[in-house]
Amino acid sequence: MSLVVENLTKRFGEKTAVDHLSFSMETPGVFGLLGTNGAGKTTTIRTILGIMEADEGKAQWNGRKINRETLAFGYLPEERGIYMKTKVLEQLVYFGMLRGMKREAAKKAALGYMERLEVMEYKNMPAEKLSKGNQQKIQLISAIIHNPRLVFLDEPFSGLDPVNGKMLRDLVSELVDEGKYIILSTHQMETVEEYCKNLLILNRGRTILQGNLKEIKSAFGHTNLCVTVNADVDGMAQEEGLQVFEKRAAETEYKIDGDEMAHRFLKRMLDAGIYPDKFEIREPSLQEIFVRKAGETE
Amino acid sequence: MRQITTVFAYTLKEAARKKAFIVSTLIIMIMVLALCLAPRIISAVKGSGEEEQTGTENSAEQAAVSDDAAICYLVDQTGIFEKNLDTLKSVYPDRNFKTAAKEEEEGIRSDIRENENNSLISIEEKDGLPYIRVVNANFMKGISSQKISDICNKIWQKNILEESGVDGETIARSTISLPYTEEAAGDMDITGYILGLAVVFIMFFAVYYYGYGVAMSVASEKTSRVMETLVVSAKPSRILIGKCLAMGVLGLLQMVGIIVFALICYTAFVPSNFNIGGVPIDFSSITPFTLLILLVYFVLGYSLYAVMNSVCGAAVSKVEDLNSAMMPVMFISLGSFYLGYFTAIAGGGSSGLTKFAMYLPFSSPFSVPFTLLTGGMKAGDLAVSMGLLLIFILVIAAVSIRVYSASVLHYGNKLKMKELLKMR
Repeated sequence: MSLVVENLTKRFGEKTAVDHLSFSMETPGVFGLLGTNGAGKTTTIRTILGIMEADEGKAQWNGRKINRETLAFGYLPEERGIYMKTKVLEQLVYFGMLRGMKREAAKKAALGYMERLEVMEYKNMPAEKLSKGNQQKIQLISAIIHNPRLVFLDEPFSGLDPVNGKMLRDLVSELVDEGKYIILSTHQMETVEEYCKNLLILNRGRTILQGNLKEIKSAFGHTNLCVTVNADVDGMAQEEGLQVFEKRAAETEYKIDGDEMAHRFLKRMLDAGIYPDKFEIREPSLQEIFVRKAGETE
Repeated sequence: MRQITTVFAYTLKEAARKKAFIVSTLIIMIMVLALCLAPRIISAVKGSGEEEQTGTENSAEQAAVSDDAAICYLVDQTGIFEKNLDTLKSVYPDRNFKTAAKEEEEGIRSDIRENENNSLISIEEKDGLPYIRVVNANFMKGISSQKISDICNKIWQKNILEESGVDGETIARSTISLPYTEEAAGDMDITGYILGLAVVFIMFFAVYYYGYGVAMSVASEKTSRVMETLVVSAKPSRILIGKCLAMGVLGLLQMVGIIVFALICYTAFVPSNFNIGGVPIDFSSITPFTLLILLVYFVLGYSLYAVMNSVCGAAVSKVEDLNSAMMPVMFISLGSFYLGYFTAIAGGGSSGLTKFAMYLPFSSPFSVPFTLLTGGMKAGDLAVSMGLLLIFILVIAAVSIRVYSASVLHYGNKLKMKELLKMR
């Protein structure tokens, strides 16, 4: 099974919302679609799904054009939308039936997911009585109730508290284990680093970076050094050419020009009898990569 | 098809259990019950009034009209009419008639302004004929100038004939009011007219109420963003058709329920000899074919306006904007309603404007049922009207589905029709 997107382009009048976007997904897992607000992520998903007609290019699942009729995909839209006045179970059954399920099968699946996401007690309540987090769980269930192989999740974790966030993250991991192909659209870089092997970063509709996350990061090399130490070593770092990148409560992050610079700094500290609790040379975070690449394209 | 039935069943269930639907159904049923009870209530009130009147008549033998009854002053400068005061009194037996002099007229006018039920009949000679002026406090109060004029004419004729030496029996025969009835030469009967009126109003109610329901349903799904979940599951055209069908069936069910209830109430409460203006109500002219055509026009008329309203619902991003977005469709439906209604009444199915109203798809759902029920419909006109309406609905539905599909996921400024048609 594979998802192939080739030269996908969508224009609204003069504005090109998605500009010749291409990527593929050959194995189950999570593919990250990143970008700032207004980068074109949602339009990309809508165009891939055939909700909007592409001006150029194509999106195929197993060699066939993706549309509502040929593929029962799952889609969690960025904007949360459920029937507020309707009972939770009733609307989940309705969404399941719209996806081609029989009433009983839809009910069984809905109850299963509700049990899994700990919202069973709300099944006969109108959705308006649920908290925002629980409403989000209901919407996620509506997206996957029909057990689709291809799932699009648009900002699935935004606005969730840590407990509910973890519950939904665990569910996404389970979906991956079940062999599903998940396209995760987000502007939360940490989420992508946690899940995605492959990613694509969009800025103003154009692809500014794409590929394997590990490879992308390693291509940038070791550029950061995180140090936790019980002494003021900033002066020493400055003398060795390091630049303070970010000072956090427990640690300081420096920018380095290669491993040698970090080693020299470590030797200076040890010679001075300063022993750091943490000394980590690492690649730049995805956040930094994104900011840098987005800046280059401005 | 399955998706259409799923949307249909869900929309029907949700709309049927809305408070607005339940309350409106109950209000209409109460109104129907009140209408059916009205003849009995009126006759009961009349009965007690007649009893009271009989009592008054009985006491009149002893004390004529009571002192606090409304006063009708008569200033007669000809001297003819005050001599026939009893004849004048016969048209208003419950009033106290008092003669007065011309000099008192100003004072009488002041009295009428203070006592609104009092009136003045002032008669003077003008060009050799009596000239009658009837003065009331306002046009809503007092005595009828037509009635006074009629009775004065009789008194005048009687006086002339008496002066000419005609005998009393001939005078009585010549001044008698001749009995008359009014009949229509065509097929139009009072039952058809009333039913026609009822159907036109029901049609307008359905177009407005259920059309608004469709627009509101679409707009709320769009603004609550449920639409985004729906359109990835089903084609917008299927959602639209399912919704329109559901609201149409709900409307039909409500109408059928109300009609059945009305028939039960009519049978139970309306007296068998009930008539309107002396003409009995007779449903025998309503054939199954007529009912079928009414049903067809209800469905077609509703469908036409429902698909247009759904576009209005899809064109807005906020429910608050819905009323202004629906304004063009409202104007079309209101204008078509008046065109259909007035041309049907005035034209009787034959005038050019009536034909235009019957053929014009926007107005034919209002015009044809009325013309059909009042007997002015020709088979050829019916066929042309229905054919045009069907074709027009298909065209409008195709355009509406395209516009709806393009606009359901558009948020932001309200879209113009030109922009909507351009979107893909």
